Amino acid sequence: MNHTPIVSARGLSRRYPLGKATVAALTEADLDVLQTDFLVLQGPSGSGKTTLINLLGLLDSPDTGSILLDGVNAASLSDDARTDARRDRFGFIFQNFNLIPVLTTAENVAYPMVLKHATADAMHKRAQELLAAVGLSDKAGVRPDLLSGGQRQRVAIARALANAPGVIFADEPTANLDTHTADTILDLMQQLNRERGVAFVIATHDPRVITRAGRVVTLRDGRIMETPT
Amino acid sequence: MKHWVIAWRNVVRNRRRSLLSGGIVVFGFTSFALAGGFMAQSFHGLRDSTIRSGLGHLQFAHPSTFDQSEDATLEHGLTNTDVIGAILAKDPAVAVVMPRIEFFGLVTAGARSVPFMGLGVDPAAEALGSDIPASVGQGRWLTSGQREVVLGRGLAQHLNAKVGDTLTLLATTPEGVLNAIDANVAGIADVLVKELSDRYLATTLPLAQELLNVSNVASKISVGLHEPADETNSGQRLLARLLPLSSDISVKRWDELAVFYAQVKMLYIGIFGFMGAILMVVVFLAAINTTLMTVTERTREIGTLRAMGARTDVVVKNFVSEAILLGLAASGAGALLSIAISLALNATGIVLPPPPGSTHGFPIHIQFFPASYLAATLAMTVTLAVAAYFPARRAARAPIVTSLAHV
Repeated sequence: MNHTPIVSARGLSRRYPLGKATVAALTEADLDVLQTDFLVLQGPSGSGKTTLINLLGLLDSPDTGSILLDGVNAASLSDDARTDARRDRFGFIFQNFNLIPVLTTAENVAYPMVLKHATADAMHKRAQELLAAVGLSDKAGVRPDLLSGGQRQRVAIARALANAPGVIFADEPTANLDTHTADTILDLMQQLNRERGVAFVIATHDPRVITRAGRVVTLRDGRIMETPT
Repeated sequence: MKHWVIAWRNVVRNRRRSLLSGGIVVFGFTSFALAGGFMAQSFHGLRDSTIRSGLGHLQFAHPSTFDQSEDATLEHGLTNTDVIGAILAKDPAVAVVMPRIEFFGLVTAGARSVPFMGLGVDPAAEALGSDIPASVGQGRWLTSGQREVVLGRGLAQHLNAKVGDTLTLLATTPEGVLNAIDANVAGIADVLVKELSDRYLATTLPLAQELLNVSNVASKISVGLHEPADETNSGQRLLARLLPLSSDISVKRWDELAVFYAQVKMLYIGIFGFMGAILMVVVFLAAINTTLMTVTERTREIGTLRAMGARTDVVVKNFVSEAILLGLAASGAGALLSIAISLALNATGIVLPPPPGSTHGFPIHIQFFPASYLAATLAMTVTLAVAAYFPARRAARAPIVTSLAHV
């Protein structure tokens, strides 16, 4: 495994308001995401998995601590620069798939490239290649609402790969899938991790995912309990 | 992947909201276009009636006629009117030349004497270039060579005069001598402005000249041009031809002389402008309400786009593009509805109340006025775009994790 961190968390803390009080969602978290990592964040509900994944993916900002991208503190970046970093370096897979309903499967996959102003030809080729990689070549012109849950998640995975990111963040990617479909999705993610060298950071409490992890980080009450190397 | 295609798909996908917003735009567009068409028709009608009230497109007169009052009749009169009229009539842009003498006097019928505002005209030319001959409701218009007058209905009532009666006209000549002639009543005209109707008396130019003891003189020469008229250029060109005859000639366009027209136009613009502003506010508030609902419904989609790397301006651009497409489509529907309503209203023949200073109402007529359709399209589309901009910007700037967690 390559031990160069793609993204690092140092002393991350995040509190959220809850009525008049505030709740510590994450406290003093340190973590390195390495190239080709297949890292699973596990823990019970409310343990801080999603908060950590949101902070690492620059979807949220910590109250204290820092996130380092190639040694650069993300806090020093403008909103546009953080947005561009998400577009160019990260991919995201959501529990509810979050596909754009008015776009076809191929258009959904290509959309991150639209944001990067890729040519139409390049987008088309890349979308076809990624749909083939996730086994959905024959669904290129289909709208998401005509796909099964497993197929939608495959499209989401293909979309996350569109701009060849270093790391894909997946928040409970198998939560809405049946066992067989979840296994297929996990097989696909592991295959892509191996063959394309893209790191995965997966927040889950699904034991099937944990058994496949290259590394497992356990969180409890907003704190990282174990960080195996 | 075409940006506008995606925007259109979103418009169609959010059918209920789009229909609601589109309906508001159709209402706003139709109101705007119909009001604009009515206003344009009113201006057009007012322009025509002003020109054909005897003013003509152009008036040639002694410079003092336009800015000074006369101490004596024809003090600033134009001489050599036969030659001037012939020169003017030769120009291809000129449709009719109407020499006129304006004078005051006293008209007597039996024991009744009433002051009048007299107009000496060429009957045939007036029949071509003004609406006064057509306004004769009883009897007929003047005939050249006859010793006759046409009275305003109000003046005829004051005199208790009928068609065929003989009247005596009394006026002061430019030399200050009183002169009198007899003339028959040829007709009674329905002059639109009541105050004018009470004093209006028209006669032939020769009879007016006889009464005033002058020849080949007129107060002014009104000129009607072929439409579409270019008053400014025609006026300057004609004046240049007349100046070698005399330096005491100047020309004015009808709109420089018609103070009433300018006042009515400003009044209409003020009224319709105010109504238009209220309409725009109503459309804006309604549109921003529906846009807010649309944006709220799509909060998670916005969060997803932001997570994938869409900058805030991209999200805003998406929503504004949808608003522009919806605005254009709804404006198209509004245009069709406006045309249909215009045709229906025009077919009803509803007569509107008389405008200020008039005695007759006018049938409603909504003109197809392309400028108002273009202005309505622009106004509605921009209003929708602005209404979409603020909610979209607010949503795009919201914390991404909050948007993604939106249910």
